[in-house]
Amino acid sequence: MNVKKGKARSIFIGVCVAPAVILFFIFMIIPTFNVFKMSLYKWGGYSNNKEFVGFENFSKLMQDTNFLRSFQNSILLVVCVTVVTMALALIFAAIISREKIKGENFFRVIFYIPNILSVVVISAIFAAIYDPTTGMLNSILGIFRGDKDPILWLGDQKLVIFSLVIAMIWQAIGYYMVMYMASMASVPESLYESADLEGANHVQQFFSITLPLIWTNIRTTLSFFIISCINLSFQFVKALTNGGPDGATEVFLSYMYKQAYTNSSYGYGMAIGVIVFLFSFGLSALVNLATKREPLEF
Amino acid sequence: MKRKLLTLLLAGSMTATMFAGCGGNDPEPATDNNASNASTDDDASKADDNNSVEDTSAPEEDASVEEQTLKVAAFEGGYGADMWSEVAEAFEASHPGVTVELTIDKKIEDVISPSMKAGDYPDVVHLATGREAALTETLTKEKALLELTDVLDMTVPGEDVTVKDKVIPGFFDTLGTNPYGDGVTYYAPMFYSPCGLFYNAGLLKEKGWDVPTTWDEMWELGDKAKEEGIALFTYPTTGYFDAFTYALLDSAGGSDFYNSCMTYEDGIWESDNAKKVFDLIAKLAEYTESSTVANANDQGFTKNQQLILDNKAIFCPNGTWLPGEMAEAPRADGFEWGFMAVPAVNEGGKGSSFTFFEQMWIPAAAENQDMAKEFIAYMYSDEAASIFAKSGAVQPVAGMTDQLDDDNKLFYGIYDNGATAVMGGFASTAPVEGVSMADTLFGTVNSIVSGEKTVDEWQKAVEEASDQLREAME
Repeated sequence: MNVKKGKARSIFIGVCVAPAVILFFIFMIIPTFNVFKMSLYKWGGYSNNKEFVGFENFSKLMQDTNFLRSFQNSILLVVCVTVVTMALALIFAAIISREKIKGENFFRVIFYIPNILSVVVISAIFAAIYDPTTGMLNSILGIFRGDKDPILWLGDQKLVIFSLVIAMIWQAIGYYMVMYMASMASVPESLYESADLEGANHVQQFFSITLPLIWTNIRTTLSFFIISCINLSFQFVKALTNGGPDGATEVFLSYMYKQAYTNSSYGYGMAIGVIVFLFSFGLSALVNLATKREPLEF
Repeated sequence: MKRKLLTLLLAGSMTATMFAGCGGNDPEPATDNNASNASTDDDASKADDNNSVEDTSAPEEDASVEEQTLKVAAFEGGYGADMWSEVAEAFEASHPGVTVELTIDKKIEDVISPSMKAGDYPDVVHLATGREAALTETLTKEKALLELTDVLDMTVPGEDVTVKDKVIPGFFDTLGTNPYGDGVTYYAPMFYSPCGLFYNAGLLKEKGWDVPTTWDEMWELGDKAKEEGIALFTYPTTGYFDAFTYALLDSAGGSDFYNSCMTYEDGIWESDNAKKVFDLIAKLAEYTESSTVANANDQGFTKNQQLILDNKAIFCPNGTWLPGEMAEAPRADGFEWGFMAVPAVNEGGKGSSFTFFEQMWIPAAAENQDMAKEFIAYMYSDEAASIFAKSGAVQPVAGMTDQLDDDNKLFYGIYDNGATAVMGGFASTAPVEGVSMADTLFGTVNSIVSGEKTVDEWQKAVEEASDQLREAME
């Protein structure tokens, strides 16, 4: 009787999860598999003239200097945006949740607003800020620099990628700050009180109490950083510079789009997709491994 | 036990209904965008299109006429969508039994390509080359277009001339209609417009400066203007260098040289004539307004165009749509558009102007190919051309420019003072991964202006790209 009941139960569970599993299979597994498959073909995307070329797309990729440059740009963005955003978000979260400052909620809202805006809106805002002649940034700098040639934030090829970094950090800080604040709120007050009695200052408290106790949260957000950086960088590049000037802000997803569509090399684009897929998985795994600590209990 | 059966049944029906949404081919066309919602440029309207009711229900009157539905997909450009519905109606009126199912969108490739990938093709597509999604180029490279050579000998519906005789001579001899460079026509030319240099005629008049007719006069004017803090040149984005460079190439070496460039002849980009063009653009880069590169993207290109209206720059390469595009923009007192062909590269030579035109084509997988050809032939009838002309779209049919307003007459009169008309862009090749002539030849201009790359590096890169593309030509 018991065995029968157990069997019926697993059938019931199986049927219940089936819709989700099937959907996941159709909309996640199959497309991902197709990306891998298409990367082995030379194909324009429409006709039936698919030609199997093995790993040729990948070997071409390794010699494609434009691709390598877009790879460099992506890595630069992931590193800069992650490091700066994480540091700032942690500092702001600690200040707002630990220090008794006026208008705590006000700042929380202000910091979070960029996250609600669409990337296109943010790009329009930053295009206005970076405008060489009438932009806010050059107007303020003009007070100190005088009437020299304006700085071309989106025109100077050495500078433009950092202009993107700034826009992306501005956009991301609020979200991570709220996440860190949530986990900081669960750290028991008594720990800080005893640290106060021991004579630890707030900086010491941050590094010895707050940081270790929210470590699991920080690890989770690191994966978020990597994934969202890769995705958002495409949207920002599309809306703000379209990869220009002359490819200086091309990131690998925008390059993939260009190859798959504008250059009619769908298979080649999918090969880039495979590299991006493996890269983001690998990097997330690596970061996860490197940040592994014994979880601390309150 | 009964309850368990019930839950199982419920769960089962849940799974089943899930598939109901996925399966089943909608018998309705993916989009049957009639004029009513075609004019809205809202992307969300696309989603509604699936449900919109087809109002052209099968006519019942004439049973003897063969019922046909012609699926026409057209790009909604600056000329608007209304002219398309009007033309479709006129075509239906002259061809009993034919129902035109029109899909119009500003991003037509996004609307039609999903069903094309699934094997459902429109019969006729009006979509030019040079768009970012490059649907036309992709189908060309994939050899998925129907040959249109026999359309040239077809009689224009309702008239007694052939298409070949009706269209202005020269249009069917270019790489813009015969993309493989083998004399076989795959694109029908539509809506031509000259590209050249737009300038602020009001400013030149006010300062008492003459309109330069040679490049030497151009540099002189540039030096004079520089003293007054005005730049000689700006450009919206580097994409606009296509027409400009084509005109320069033709002017530098004549039409044979131009065609050699467009068909990637070995060493052609290292020749003296090509060098002249590279050097000329590099010199022009020195006279370019300093903030141009920073705004030379999709977000900021109107700021570059605004420089002309604000008397901050004098010349800008563009097409006849520019005054319309900037119609609402503020401008300096006494501002007046001027438009001229690109001055001659060689001393005493002819100036030139690239003629941009859009294209109409039939996918090889289209169902109603004969009716599709008939539709294309109809595009050159007086009836259709007049409908288009009302919206400012000019068909390459003789006498059309007489129907235009004065502004447009000025633009189309650019060839009247001896400038050569240059037509057709680069020949189509099989796709070459990672190599883009447009990026190499035009995109690099930003780096030339900012001083990031030298002319020699540029020229070398173009020749390399040309080498790789030549190998992919068949």
